Amino acid sequence: MYGARVLSVDVEVDRREFTVRAALEVADGERVALFGPSGAGKTTVLEAIAGLVTLRGHVSLSDRVLTSTSEHVDVPPWRRRVGLLRQDPGLFPHLSVRANLLYARSAREDELAELAAQLDIAALLSAMPARLSGGQRHRVALGRLLLAHCDALLLDEPFASLDAALRRSLTALVKDISSERMVASVLVTHQLADAQAFADRLAVIDEGLILQIGAPDEVVLRPASRRVAELVGYLGFVPAGGAPGSAAGVVAGVHPERVIAGADPDRGLVVTGTVTAARPSGAGWEADVLAGDATFTCRLPSRPVAQLAVTVLDPPYFAADGVLLTPGQHIRSA
Amino acid sequence: MSIAGAAIIWIALLGPVITLITRMSPGDIWTALTGAGNLDPLLTSIESGLVTLGVLLLLCTPLAWMLARDRLPFPRIWEAGILCSLLLPPLVIGLLLVFMVGPYTWVGSVLDWVHQSATNTFLALVIAEVYESAPYYVLGARAAFASVDTGLEQQAGLLGDRPGRVFRRVTLPMAAPGLAMALAVSWARAIGAFGAVVIIAYHPFGIPMQIFTTLQETGLYSALPYALVLLVVALPLPMAAYVWSARAERRRRG
Repeated sequence: MYGARVLSVDVEVDRREFTVRAALEVADGERVALFGPSGAGKTTVLEAIAGLVTLRGHVSLSDRVLTSTSEHVDVPPWRRRVGLLRQDPGLFPHLSVRANLLYARSAREDELAELAAQLDIAALLSAMPARLSGGQRHRVALGRLLLAHCDALLLDEPFASLDAALRRSLTALVKDISSERMVASVLVTHQLADAQAFADRLAVIDEGLILQIGAPDEVVLRPASRRVAELVGYLGFVPAGGAPGSAAGVVAGVHPERVIAGADPDRGLVVTGTVTAARPSGAGWEADVLAGDATFTCRLPSRPVAQLAVTVLDPPYFAADGVLLTPGQHIRSA
Repeated sequence: MSIAGAAIIWIALLGPVITLITRMSPGDIWTALTGAGNLDPLLTSIESGLVTLGVLLLLCTPLAWMLARDRLPFPRIWEAGILCSLLLPPLVIGLLLVFMVGPYTWVGSVLDWVHQSATNTFLALVIAEVYESAPYYVLGARAAFASVDTGLEQQAGLLGDRPGRVFRRVTLPMAAPGLAMALAVSWARAIGAFGAVVIIAYHPFGIPMQIFTTLQETGLYSALPYALVLLVVALPLPMAAYVWSARAERRRRG
């Protein structure tokens, strides 16, 4: 059984374009997803935790200080007991699956059979990595980290190159195992669905700054700012003029999947507009709508008509400076 | 290109070897090799070649690794230096070595102080072979190390290996086929070294010098058996390296 451990990160890492500043705490067995666009600094945060980049600040894992610029501590990567799983699973091609799994000196052979069965790789132990499929390679790489008894799991978009079904099953597997073994885990991804499926908490990062941390639902339904809203999929902002007594400059965020056809003022903000483009999307239709000066995109179950009234379900409202208004605040501030 | 075209080129490249074999009778070979002291040049070549390989492994492998991993400041300058020594004709290397380590240089004085000399000695032969073969080894070994994914080394480190263990368990085994090929090429260069050797290590005779003096003293036909011996002695190591590299590659592919 593993002892209690908390991953604590408060770092600054200089990059050519900007400085990554991240503060994050991950509790024992907790799963946090770092979500943001490409180049936002997500991987840099993981590399800072793993000791692979030069940084200022503090990283600790339970009672072990891994990096502290004030205390002049910088534990080298090979003593951190932090596992990193990247998109390239990084199996050693000259070693068999079995030798890969038992690579770490802390790996115990008596745990191999049980773990191999759990990961469904028991039949592959004598195979060479080149013979494995993409999913099998990731399972072996995950097994190798688990047998190494890492105190924290860092997952850098590990399954991004796999198809959606395999990605889902592997994400679920990692989720189950990290919970079962009570390992603090951090997943980096630019796929919101992956982040939501994996994480207890979601941290949105952009240009090196963590903009919001919270439960995935909270972040998606109540993004802290317009920028966060854009990153989590809001495809339009309409003036909140439709809401009675709205302040000037206040806008409502429109998430394409939180729009229903027809006017239902009891459930949200009613918006009328002209459909400028419509295309099939999944089992329904996606439409670009022009409402006054604003445009937004929404998904509807059937082909939209030219003039459209829709209800944006319980939308988040943002002040003119882009900050989220608390429920009702957009009306009170009028 | 058709198979026939490839075969023509292949045979043309093998032309000297085919000529060598077809020009000699077993009697010629027997006569050349059974004379008193006739195998001495062969032993000298093997000994000096093996010592040269040892020197290359010991001194040039770290340099090749540092070049491959960009551990040196201004790496292009370092690489340009290696290329310069590659481009120097062996004869010129020999001439310059006289000015560098000959008896009237400070290196020569130091060697003289310990009763050694870098001209016309076994040491001189090894120095000449090292200078002729080192650039081939450094460039080959550099390519071998560069082919190893640094992500794998990083992963090995995160799994608890110190850099020394990472090198032993990941870098070296993965670069080994390329290193073996680089070593094989260097061996061929060392054992066949002549240009620098003829200037600073006329004695003791290795096989190339034996071929040269036999050619001068007794003619073309008398020199050919030694050429065959050179081929037979030089070939097994590169062949073994080639076969081993191919097997290692097959094993990786599962």
